[in-house]
Amino acid sequence: MSDIVIKVENVHVSFWQNNVGVYSVKDLITLGKSPFKSKTILNNISVEVKKGESLGILGRNGSGKSTLLRTIAGIIKPDQGKITVNGTFAPILAIGAGLEVELTGYENIALLLALYGTARKNTNAVENIKEFSELSDEVLRMPVKQYSSGMVARLAFSISLANESDILIIDEVLAVGDQGFQAKCLDKIYKIRDEGKTILFVSHFPDGVTQICNKAILLEHGEMIDSGDSIDVCNHYKKLF
Amino acid sequence: MQNITRIYALSKRNVILRYKNSLVGFFWGFIKPAIYLLIFMVMFSQSFPSVTNYVLFASSGLILWFFFSNVTTQAVGSIVGSSGLIKAINIPAYFFPLSEVLSELFNLLLTIIVFLVMMYWFGIVYSAKLILIIPLVILFATFAYGLNLILCSINVFFRDIGIIWGTIQPALFYLSPIGYPETMIPDQYKLVIKANPIYYFIKVGRTVFYDNFPPSMHAWNVCIGISVITLGIGLFVYSRLKNQFISAI
Repeated sequence: MSDIVIKVENVHVSFWQNNVGVYSVKDLITLGKSPFKSKTILNNISVEVKKGESLGILGRNGSGKSTLLRTIAGIIKPDQGKITVNGTFAPILAIGAGLEVELTGYENIALLLALYGTARKNTNAVENIKEFSELSDEVLRMPVKQYSSGMVARLAFSISLANESDILIIDEVLAVGDQGFQAKCLDKIYKIRDEGKTILFVSHFPDGVTQICNKAILLEHGEMIDSGDSIDVCNHYKKLF
Repeated sequence: MQNITRIYALSKRNVILRYKNSLVGFFWGFIKPAIYLLIFMVMFSQSFPSVTNYVLFASSGLILWFFFSNVTTQAVGSIVGSSGLIKAINIPAYFFPLSEVLSELFNLLLTIIVFLVMMYWFGIVYSAKLILIIPLVILFATFAYGLNLILCSINVFFRDIGIIWGTIQPALFYLSPIGYPETMIPDQYKLVIKANPIYYFIKVGRTVFYDNFPPSMHAWNVCIGISVITLGIGLFVYSRLKNQFISAI
């Protein structure tokens, strides 16, 4: 039991779909109809990730991949089902997520480290981020709104990696950044994996998934249609198109 | 402990962001009430010769009003405006309106210090009674936080709330006896003033700064009642809606 890091059991997630507008106000008043509809995003998902395994999550756009990641990370509460996690999370690595564009690089680092709760534990965190992102002192003093998209990706990725957490969640992050930085990120991801940490990886590139992950699942319209060895699942994914 | 660090970090962000790219920065905290004070003096002070020390009278209401106005205006969009963080980190959404209240309390603290010094020339009596501003500000902030929770939670689903709130604020402002004495309201309209919760906080604040007697126990109880009820409603609305925030931001 103790070697299971993440256990997702029959999870069901639905969102309110908002039809707000003048017509919905009319319907609300004349028919008493709620302006919200419930829409199922994830239906009956069950996954188990053991220690040291890394899981790839594949699927078309809008199939519920990011929602699944957020549900596992505790950001979204499922309507039904149960999620058990043994370990701590690094924040979700979407491109530039959570960066405040008006603040400088340094201010963002300080804010996000405090929010992730690493500020106290790791005093070298700022240095590590600076070193890994290869952003100069001058750049880090600029507001993030003046950064190029590649610089934003470097900063975001470096901040997320500064957290010594057991589970790393990567949501489609390697698409930006120049080749050198992409290679560096991949190296880092391999290293984290070889340390025995768990990686959850969302990507549209099956080749990336087979390189990083040994297991994978395939989502389609919020249902899990395949799971197992990452090579098999990636082949299934390629056949969808 | 970790949550205190997080709330502190968010409040600090608000303070930095508020006056970033602004020329005089946090001095706006004093300039805004000062401009209103000038307008009031031109418009009103001749009309109410019964009010002695009009500057102290009006500005003691103004600083409390601007605390309330700033804090609610900032907080209405606080959850929507932090969608990036909310989607990336497992962080309770109520941190955002709370951090707005705390950063605005910091501004209010600075404003009150400057106010207490300036009012030396406008007839303030320095006494131990002034310390009563602390419980009043805590109650007022609790009330504002409860209201913020209601406003920012509903604003996630209906962005109209932010617009409506900006529109009704001037009405609330003029319905509160800030620039004019309460006694000038005709009896048949007293009810309109008394239905306005802000009136009670302004009244206690004015008693602390301006009158030469302390606020009555009854006045305190009313403020406590309004704060607790508003906070309760705010927490209720928030807890009913919080699970669906992510689908709408």
